[in-house]
Amino acid sequence: MEQKLRSEARALLEEGKVDWIIGFEPGSLKFTTTPLITKDKNDTERLVINPFITNNLANFLTEIKGRVGIVAKGCESRSIVSLIQDNKVARENLVIFGVPCPGIIDLSKLERLAAKNRDELDEITREKDRVIIKADGKTSEFPVSQALFDHCLACELPTPKEYDILLGEPTPPIANPTAQESIKKLKQLVPEERWAFWAKELSRCVRCYACRNVCPACFCQRCFVEETEPQWVLPAPRWQDNLIFQIIRNIHVAGRCTDCGECERVCPVKIPLRSLTREMYDIVGELFQFKSGMDKDADPLLTHYEEQEAEDFFR
Amino acid sequence: MTTNISPSKFLAQDNVYLPHIAVIEKIIEETPNVRTFHFNFKDKTLQKDFTFESGQFGEYSVFGVGEAPFCISSSPTRRDHLEFAVQRVGRVTNALHRLGVGAEIGFRGPFGNSFPLDFLKGKNLVFVGGGIGLAPLRSLIWNVIDNRNKYKDIVIIYGARTPADLCFKYDLDAWGKDKTIKFTTTVDRGDESWKGKVGVVPKILEEAAPSARDTVAIVCGPPIMIRFTFPVLTKLGFTPEQMLTTLEKRMKCGIGKCGRCNIGNVFVCRDGPVFSYAQIKSFVSSEY
Amino acid sequence: MAKKINKRDIIKLLNQWSKDFAIFAPSRESGVAAMAKWDGKDTEFLDWYRNTVVAPKANFLPNMEEMFKFQKDKEGYRIELPPDGEKQLIFGIRPCDARAMKIIDNNFKGLYQDPYYLNKRNSAVLVGLGCVNPGESCFCTSLDISPAESDDVDLMLTDIGNELLVEPISAAGKKLIAKTTGLKAATKNDEAKAKEVKKTAYNKVTRKINAEGIVERLTACFDDQEFWEKVAAKCISCGICTLLCPTCYCFDINDEIFRQQGTRFRSLDSCAFPVYTKMPMENPRAEKWKRVRQKVCHKYSFFPMSFKDIACTGCGRCVRLCPVNWDITQVINSVPAKEAKKRVKEGGRG
Repeated sequence: MEQKLRSEARALLEEGKVDWIIGFEPGSLKFTTTPLITKDKNDTERLVINPFITNNLANFLTEIKGRVGIVAKGCESRSIVSLIQDNKVARENLVIFGVPCPGIIDLSKLERLAAKNRDELDEITREKDRVIIKADGKTSEFPVSQALFDHCLACELPTPKEYDILLGEPTPPIANPTAQESIKKLKQLVPEERWAFWAKELSRCVRCYACRNVCPACFCQRCFVEETEPQWVLPAPRWQDNLIFQIIRNIHVAGRCTDCGECERVCPVKIPLRSLTREMYDIVGELFQFKSGMDKDADPLLTHYEEQEAEDFFR
Repeated sequence: MTTNISPSKFLAQDNVYLPHIAVIEKIIEETPNVRTFHFNFKDKTLQKDFTFESGQFGEYSVFGVGEAPFCISSSPTRRDHLEFAVQRVGRVTNALHRLGVGAEIGFRGPFGNSFPLDFLKGKNLVFVGGGIGLAPLRSLIWNVIDNRNKYKDIVIIYGARTPADLCFKYDLDAWGKDKTIKFTTTVDRGDESWKGKVGVVPKILEEAAPSARDTVAIVCGPPIMIRFTFPVLTKLGFTPEQMLTTLEKRMKCGIGKCGRCNIGNVFVCRDGPVFSYAQIKSFVSSEY
Repeated sequence: MAKKINKRDIIKLLNQWSKDFAIFAPSRESGVAAMAKWDGKDTEFLDWYRNTVVAPKANFLPNMEEMFKFQKDKEGYRIELPPDGEKQLIFGIRPCDARAMKIIDNNFKGLYQDPYYLNKRNSAVLVGLGCVNPGESCFCTSLDISPAESDDVDLMLTDIGNELLVEPISAAGKKLIAKTTGLKAATKNDEAKAKEVKKTAYNKVTRKINAEGIVERLTACFDDQEFWEKVAAKCISCGICTLLCPTCYCFDINDEIFRQQGTRFRSLDSCAFPVYTKMPMENPRAEKWKRVRQKVCHKYSFFPMSFKDIACTGCGRCVRLCPVNWDITQVINSVPAKEAKKRVKEGGRG
């Protein structure tokens, strides 16, 4: 699969069919990958596909100009479709390498299962429905459902629908209900408890904006937090303003968020942001029977006007 | 050639971040977008003791809105009040424009270095200003005029985009009438009543062709004007050491601690804002 | 003369010191390690192998800090300084983070003294804890820092098994030890063991960064737009590397009015953000590659030009927390030697 990707990507650059290749290459730490963004055909030798390809590469499409050959897991392909719906990217400028994705390994979960830090692990391999860890000469195994990201367990489209070349056999959704555990727990709290929960979590926020910058749906040239006239949100990390930032960001991406989970993964202080984004995603599904990024010819949900629209919420 | 940078002697409660309270005494509408504020400190002892040099700036606060840096546009030789000029472009500047006479603002300073008077003494001076860039220059110009016999010939070339954008018109009148100054105003575009020169400042400078011998040129204005003025001065024979300017960057603390206004390892607020073209060319960072 | 203490007795030690200081120790609330007010009983952090996620700089340069309050009455504005804080004892600070405080001190002293930072810093006591098992992202040794030794703390603790060796480093440390009870004298064996531990820890740091002549190298390639665009390609311009870096100190100043009372506060800012240098008419770092260049050059070129120290201590936070695994060690290692005519092949693994 990797070989096919490398030779196809190289060919695209050599034949001048694309200007850029965006994919994954091995990272500088064990069990990591890093985005590879290149115009150089020799760099395509480093492209990889493995259980650690975490990033949502569609994020780079709003920045890179020109024709792009892009590696896309299910979540990326949905983000790409969403960007096409928003007119930010033209389909004819893309060559999509679809990668059917059996789920990405969450190192934080593995650290808890193995009761070891990731630096102490020697090897992590995945075999079908098991994850095998080697550390200190000992081997341990865990069912894959315990080791994957929550958003992978809940993923509705692991195999891209929109692609030019499909690398590998289609794979079905895992649809493991444990993915929604944390959100269910939150919903059982009464409002005062929820308020206290978020006040505590958001007190750690340092306003790095990684959640926003890593999101393909956040592509505004000037974000509302950067406005000074009027100053919507305090530029400093007071928890109340951090909360407002999250709420407004969720509203801004509603209908375009594909629950790729990147926001929660990148947060350096481990705020459970996906609880907010997934909840918004579910609300959008309930209210509008709409799932983002599924059909590139569909109209975007909230930025599209139709004369005949539901008006039952007017009272 | 750099002037010595010594810290401000006027710190409130020994804390460089604390502003002194100042009261606005007069407001002049220079253009629809530019206002000059005359102010004095509430503390009468500070009002008496306060000193600064031409080229230095202060950090002015609108309490509750924020703080912004502006040069002190009045001359240290005329100390019955202090002045600064503000162009309305954002949050703090708009808030300043909404203030009336009697309003209280904060002031921290004076910060930065100043025009090197020892270097300018005994020389001919060519002042080239554009738009609100005249604000730091006018502090120096009045300083020089008040010590007229220390300097030789004075040439002032000042321009703006249109006649309505000319700032400090009362200064322009005075300098036009001063027989010891060769003074020219110009606009990029005239209007029906404009009878003066028409042409961008660098072009008018080239026509005026002041001699470079024993002369220092001091240039202040929008970046694009400065970028076209330096080559003209070079053509007229000025060396980079003979060209001075003030640089502008987004600033917050004003004292070289918040990191923002750096050009390489130089901080505009602490090592500037006055720089010679020779210094600018030697910056390790070309992003000035 | 070195002392030692059993790990079990750390609680008693901290309780003793808590009479004079506010004790801060690493704690892992919600899975995020930070220096927090010690809760009186937790000593789990003694077995951690790595520095905290949130750097101890937050104890001296908080994320958000009140500078003063202002209020308007009929006489006009009145300004009020915040009350003095308590004296801090930072327990378990790693050598990289302790060195970072020395490095940051340069910025807050100088022509003007920054009272908010210096009041906290000058009254604080740092008790260092050596790293026994440096992590994969650590590269302190390339920057003249030892993972288990430090001149930048007041007391240095080394893990020698069930006990910790306690060495006074500074005059303040010696004074503190003199007043402290419950410490035993260390034997020659203990000191030899500690020496072993320190050496082993030093050799375990395998990540290396080539910082030789880096100021000249960066100056030489400053204008190489192609190089910097490649370096910056995958950066997403968030602030993680700078906000969590122990040697980053850039801050923003803002005002706020709430219910008739105003506050001016400062908060950490980042040169990675596009609006950091934005002016009404222009933005000198609107392009991402310029901002990435600024970050690298500030730490490895501009800061050492002014203060001799490189503004990096190899703590590894930026490497392991970056959302796209942008790695400063790879970037610095790929900056060519000044005399090199051809560029060194990029992408070399650090």
